Amino acid sequence: MAANVPGRYQRWYAALLRLYPRPFRERFCEGMAQTFHDLCREHRDTGRGLFGFALWIFCETFVGIVQENTTHMPQLGKTILRVALGALAVLMVPLVASRFVEDWHWPVGAFVRVYVLFFITGMVFSLIARRMGAWSYKAGVGVALFAGFALAWSTMVQTADSGHPERLWYLSVLVVGFIGACLARLRPAGMAVALFAMAAVLALISVVLPSGAPSDVAFRMAIGHGVFVGLFTASGLLFRHASLAGLR
Amino acid sequence: MPKNKVQAPLTPAVLHILLALSTGERHGYGIMKQVEADSQEKVKMGPGTLYGSIRRMIEAGLIRESDKRVDPEMDDERRIYYGLTGVGRRALEAELQRYRGVVAVAEGRLAHGR
Repeated sequence: MAANVPGRYQRWYAALLRLYPRPFRERFCEGMAQTFHDLCREHRDTGRGLFGFALWIFCETFVGIVQENTTHMPQLGKTILRVALGALAVLMVPLVASRFVEDWHWPVGAFVRVYVLFFITGMVFSLIARRMGAWSYKAGVGVALFAGFALAWSTMVQTADSGHPERLWYLSVLVVGFIGACLARLRPAGMAVALFAMAAVLALISVVLPSGAPSDVAFRMAIGHGVFVGLFTASGLLFRHASLAGLR
Repeated sequence: MPKNKVQAPLTPAVLHILLALSTGERHGYGIMKQVEADSQEKVKMGPGTLYGSIRRMIEAGLIRESDKRVDPEMDDERRIYYGLTGVGRRALEAELQRYRGVVAVAEGRLAHGR
């Protein structure tokens, strides 16, 4: 059985090499498989264990595969890969935290939905932010997306917990932002107006819509609303800064 | 290959591969073993790093693919050999010259600091 181990590693390694882009694969993978074979033989002949060594080679080759695939990838492909890996890294936070926090029992589907949300947010940021080089524009996009993401998240959670579907009105703030961004065609001056409008709509809803919550909860909600209004206003100011910088 | 790229500092992997090929053509495993020997086993390259570097070096004209032949010291499998080009040799010499300059400056500073 042990004699078959190097053969098995070589089959797995050959399978891994198929992940290289075709031109690279056709030119170098035969040599790589030979080199891996030589290295395995050297390790076996010196009586050293193969498992750790093979694991290192597999990881090292996988890094090479990612590099080779991204070398010929168009910029959009690189952005998608970067955002997908970034979203995965951020997902690790709730994934690890749920292991240690009691009463945190998300089903697998919830993690998938959160991942999709992170990914979409990241993609929107990457695609919008690269339209302008100004730091204030990028920061404005980042703050707006963070606040929008947090508002959508808290609205969904609170609506599900409290059973008050009227709280979904808060999502109209995001609708205002989306329409504003479309009308502004993502130009900083128009984006500033859209963000100020989002802050105003949120302030209006939080005043008009009765919370129906006990006073202490209502007080905490009011603070939360204030934070969101502040974030949208800050984002609007950043876009305004970018707009003025562009005029200079 | 553009001239300014030849004069740019080389990555450690590229430098070691050029150094390994400076005494003759070698196949992938041979390059790895030579790099290990040259660096007193301090630099260990995996196939991913080695062949990724080889691909870039061929594209940059630093090395070339040679014919496929059997290594008499190994088995009877035919292997692809790689060799240094004139551009590669000049790049290696330029890099070594750059290192000499850095060492001279460093030694001067250290001697001055004593």
